[in-house]
Amino acid sequence: MPRILVAMPEKCTGCGRCQAACSAAHEGLFAPSLARLGVENFPFLGRSVPSVCFHCANPDCMAACPEGAISHDENGTVLVHAAKCTGCGACAEACPWGQIRLGADDVAVKCDLCGGEPGCVSECHSGALVFQEPDKDLRKLRGMQMKERCANGSPEGKRAELARRLVGAGA
Amino acid sequence: MNLYTGSVLHVDLCAGTAHQRPLRREWLRDYWGGWGLAARYYQEHSTPGCDALAPENPVVIMTGPLCGTLVPLSARFCLMSKSPHNGTVFESNAGGAFGPELKFSGFDGIVITGKAERPVYLSITNGHAELRDASSLWGLGIFETEDRLQKLTGGAKTLSIGPAGENLVTFSCIGTEAYRQLGRGGTGALFGSKNLKAIACKGSGGVRVADMKAFMAVMTQAKNESLLTGDNLWAKSDGTPVLVDLTNEMGIHPTRNFTYGVNTEKAALGSDTMKAARAGERACWSCPMACGKFTRIDGAEVEGPEYETLCLAGSNCGVNDLAAVTRFNRVCDDLGLDTISTGATIGLAMDMAGKGGHDFGLRFGETEQYLAVVEEMARLSTDRGRDLALGVKRLAAKYDARDLAVESKGMEFPAYDPRGNHGMGLAYATSERGACHLRAFTIFAEDPFDHESLARGVVAAQNLNAIKWAMCICDFWGTVTTGYLAEQLAAGLGETVTAEELDQAGERIWNLLRLLNAREGFTAGDDTLPKKILSQALRGGPHEGRTLTSEDLAEMKSIYYAARGWDDTATPAAAKLAALGLEPMLATEVRHA
Repeated sequence: MPRILVAMPEKCTGCGRCQAACSAAHEGLFAPSLARLGVENFPFLGRSVPSVCFHCANPDCMAACPEGAISHDENGTVLVHAAKCTGCGACAEACPWGQIRLGADDVAVKCDLCGGEPGCVSECHSGALVFQEPDKDLRKLRGMQMKERCANGSPEGKRAELARRLVGAGA
Repeated sequence: MNLYTGSVLHVDLCAGTAHQRPLRREWLRDYWGGWGLAARYYQEHSTPGCDALAPENPVVIMTGPLCGTLVPLSARFCLMSKSPHNGTVFESNAGGAFGPELKFSGFDGIVITGKAERPVYLSITNGHAELRDASSLWGLGIFETEDRLQKLTGGAKTLSIGPAGENLVTFSCIGTEAYRQLGRGGTGALFGSKNLKAIACKGSGGVRVADMKAFMAVMTQAKNESLLTGDNLWAKSDGTPVLVDLTNEMGIHPTRNFTYGVNTEKAALGSDTMKAARAGERACWSCPMACGKFTRIDGAEVEGPEYETLCLAGSNCGVNDLAAVTRFNRVCDDLGLDTISTGATIGLAMDMAGKGGHDFGLRFGETEQYLAVVEEMARLSTDRGRDLALGVKRLAAKYDARDLAVESKGMEFPAYDPRGNHGMGLAYATSERGACHLRAFTIFAEDPFDHESLARGVVAAQNLNAIKWAMCICDFWGTVTTGYLAEQLAAGLGETVTAEELDQAGERIWNLLRLLNAREGFTAGDDTLPKKILSQALRGGPHEGRTLTSEDLAEMKSIYYAARGWDDTATPAAAKLAALGLEPMLATEVRHA
């Protein structure tokens, strides 16, 4: 059974090592704003919420792409084929969780699970990101997060909205 | 530029301007960043003898070269200025995420001078900075200020002051992320005196390194082989409350205004009690330790309380009640008061009443007035609030209670009684900002009364901490070495860096601070301890009856000055200045001051 990446907000300490590792691996510098996963901190409440690509079975981004540039690989990982991408941004608009955006050169970028060894998970020391074969509890947690569909806004805005809903911090 | 952004923001509040200037690269290999570079910038932009609360006193905020990278515990940032509390030059540092955000927004640091006509806040976004009206924020506590700034700026990281800073309380703080502070020394009053309510910073840039693969390899090895080992993991499992049990065992746990070395009711404030009330764990940016333990008890919640608060506002006030200390902590964080100085001053007031001195309505162990007076101190709203807002030294002077006052260079003691560990006494006496546990920390010394080895240990620790704070590495990476830091910097910069040059930079920074304090009139005579510590024996615990006499202190100071290469005025001798390459201009300025 393929492993899945799941964010566990109740364990997140808000350190952001995941985002730094992601940008280092994909962009070659430490820049959390370029990371392919989100972390929203609510320091006053003592809470943090990481958010990751669910690699959906029926991805909204894939359905929205007019060029067929988004597809599943043999493990179910949702990948962008940069050569086919025209930078129209329909995928970024379609993803309800803000997990795909247009990067440099107007090519869509998203989590690719680092080819099977996610750098974000390696740098998470609180157990808030796991990459494993899912059990019932993990599926349930992921299912609950997927129900929080955020329709409008930028990818960053949707990540923030998702986090606010999950932490119960209101709009 | 690798590791650094290469830019510093210069803000003139009188002119209402904020300009980007190139980082002074010629200073980097001597001072590196953080405390060191901030001290060099402070020296450049300050006028000797200026009033700490005058517009011309510069406030320098600085990050370190590793800040914003995956190097763990490197995300702190510092503030350097002259203290309105005691007139020393001083450094204060905080964690959270402001430091990295400042770098992601394009700046290594900020130099602030002048005073705005009306309350303003500084807004920084991706290399652009502007001053904005803060009239509607003035008067608000730090929690609400942060909340409003979040909404105004779309999620910026912020530094802000509360009523204590606005009212120029000399031990007020700047707060960040609700429960983190630039503490000690009155950072809040510095912002308050400049009509600067807050700084809000947002950036989408990044930090570059010369060789990412090498940089990650060095980082990973140090993280696994040095940081995440038995010497440091207390921070992850317990956080600082572990020190409650430890310092009680050592007999150096300040209790009832530094009268006893143990608190017989320590369990009420100890690690197990804290663990039972733990509601979560919080980390600074890039830190895998998450030492910030979020506490929820009896309807009160706070990130903390940290050890210093548990002791100074707990044991030292006879308040053996975690819920009360948690409330105290939260109120201080919101109003912007330093919990060490606030707790210590209330403890002194309690002691005065018990000994027939002035009665402020405060008693050891009684929590109602203890909690009420905090707000009065921050808002200067009552006579006793205005009195206690003076801090220990000036309160004792006003009410003829000097015999009960526990401070050094006007700074309230932190939570380690030096009579049970003489090295801490020397550390307090020689610290640039007055009594401080973050310059040298000798509580684990093999023999707590061996003056020779303690004095040499204090010199070594001050030098190491000076370079560590220049890198803005957290105190809690206790096993970090300059050898490792050199390797990490080399991979980041793509240049050769040696442990020896970092060691020397640490010593250079410490000597520069000494020169800056000498410039302000501080002498060997100010390297001292209060009468209570020098003349009264410690009570209770393993060091019952122990003293730290003037002779003890004099002996340690003599060894210390000699080991430092300082002359009979306790300032760096010519040979030392030359060896460290400290600018002759600076030395001349000091001698003539």
